[in-house]
Amino acid sequence: MIIDDFLWRAGLGAGLLAAACGPIGCFILWRRMAYVGESVAHMGLLGAAIGLLMGVNALVGTAALAIAAALIMTRASDRTIPAGTFVGIIGHMGLALGFIVLSLMDTVRTDLLGYLFGDVLALSNQDLIAIAAVGIVVLCATAVIWKPLLRSAAGGPIAAAEGRTSALAQTGFLILTAVLVAFGLKVVGALLIVALLIIPPAAARPLAKTPEAMALWAALLGAISAPLGLAASLAVDAPAGPCIVLAAGGLFALSSVYGLIAKR
Amino acid sequence: MTEPLITAHHLTLAAGCLTILNDVSLAIHPGEIVTLIGPNGSGKTTLLKALLGLVRVKGDITRRPGLKVGYVPQQFTPDPSLPMTVHRFLDLFAGHQAGWAALKRVGIADAHDRQLSALSGGEIARVLLARAVAGKPDLLVLDEPLAGVDVAGEAALYHLIAELRDELNCGILLVSHDLHVVMGKSDRVICLNHHICCEGDAHDVRRDPAFIELFGARGELALYPHHHDHAHSLAGETLHDH
Repeated sequence: MIIDDFLWRAGLGAGLLAAACGPIGCFILWRRMAYVGESVAHMGLLGAAIGLLMGVNALVGTAALAIAAALIMTRASDRTIPAGTFVGIIGHMGLALGFIVLSLMDTVRTDLLGYLFGDVLALSNQDLIAIAAVGIVVLCATAVIWKPLLRSAAGGPIAAAEGRTSALAQTGFLILTAVLVAFGLKVVGALLIVALLIIPPAAARPLAKTPEAMALWAALLGAISAPLGLAASLAVDAPAGPCIVLAAGGLFALSSVYGLIAKR
Repeated sequence: MTEPLITAHHLTLAAGCLTILNDVSLAIHPGEIVTLIGPNGSGKTTLLKALLGLVRVKGDITRRPGLKVGYVPQQFTPDPSLPMTVHRFLDLFAGHQAGWAALKRVGIADAHDRQLSALSGGEIARVLLARAVAGKPDLLVLDEPLAGVDVAGEAALYHLIAELRDELNCGILLVSHDLHVVMGKSDRVICLNHHICCEGDAHDVRRDPAFIELFGARGELALYPHHHDHAHSLAGETLHDH
């Protein structure tokens, strides 16, 4: 059986990206920041639009705006509006504006769905190398800032009161999230990238008794979701990105059932 | 007198037209237990957070250089999505051996292998105290640390806090509603109602008109001599020592 190159690239690219999303996604889960990830991804679409408009590449624009959005949104504290709502407002404005700008550009009009739901089968060799490099750098960087991040996640206000938080680690975490979002745009799109950040960690939770085990399981389950989703996509001729997300969702359902049985 | 651990001068915080802290000054020295009392909404927790640097206020706060703080917050709900055992939690902040020793010292070593999110409120209170003392702090800040601990356990735990002060020679700043148990162990009581109404040792504060005005009959009741004919260990068994 011959497997086409583009399938290899898609499977490897999506698998590596999802694996890199796992450990960072654990912190998004533990710190209840799913909505921040969502809004950063939405702003990423605007970044892609601006990047294309300015003639640089979409990825650079996405990464720049996603990082800026992540840094600004987590610092926003207005007492009259809940932080989550504020972040949601900014993110959706970004999504709306990004979509409008993209749809006004004739050259990319046909690719609109690709920006929203990814176009993993179109990954080039350069894309794959970039994703692999980013995945490895993100995983290593996560390992470096693991302990201070875990202290903040476990201790919350305690860590802050005792001066045990690291501003560098917090900023690093946000930048890593934004970078994953930017590279995920190509794979599963602006609307689904957060799924790769939160579903594998959630699926990993019932399988783990330590934070480290949960991070490893999340990486593994993310990586498995990619070939599973691609296979499903081939079998029923459905879009690849959404199939990968559904595969992750399937693993989450299985591990939840396991969790329920194991509890008894 | 020794150099204070932390000194606050003229702390003021206003939110809109509401004054939360009004010109509050205090200092805490090594080896003393200072208890902060005051009605709900009197600014106790805000003052604590200001001293810890969690809330920005007007005024000066000076810490002794290199001051190590141990903090037990009023509320702490471990997130069930984070798998973490009690021992790992202490390990993360204080290291393996210190964490283990502190768990034994606070009498909750049995729980070392359990998940944080599976503990009861009283168990959490003890784990948090163990975590705070494991790092051998110079200043222990306890914000109503005994929520969820039953009355018998409470007395034993306050006794333990006083012992820990002697062992670590640390200063302790304690916020509490439980006037009757706290006061016997306090070196100094500060009565707060946005400003410092009165302060001094427990007996002086009791006679202070400002205290009586704030707490009224409750204050009298709070200082009613309270003699136990027996004590409880932290595990709950009765100790007959008199």
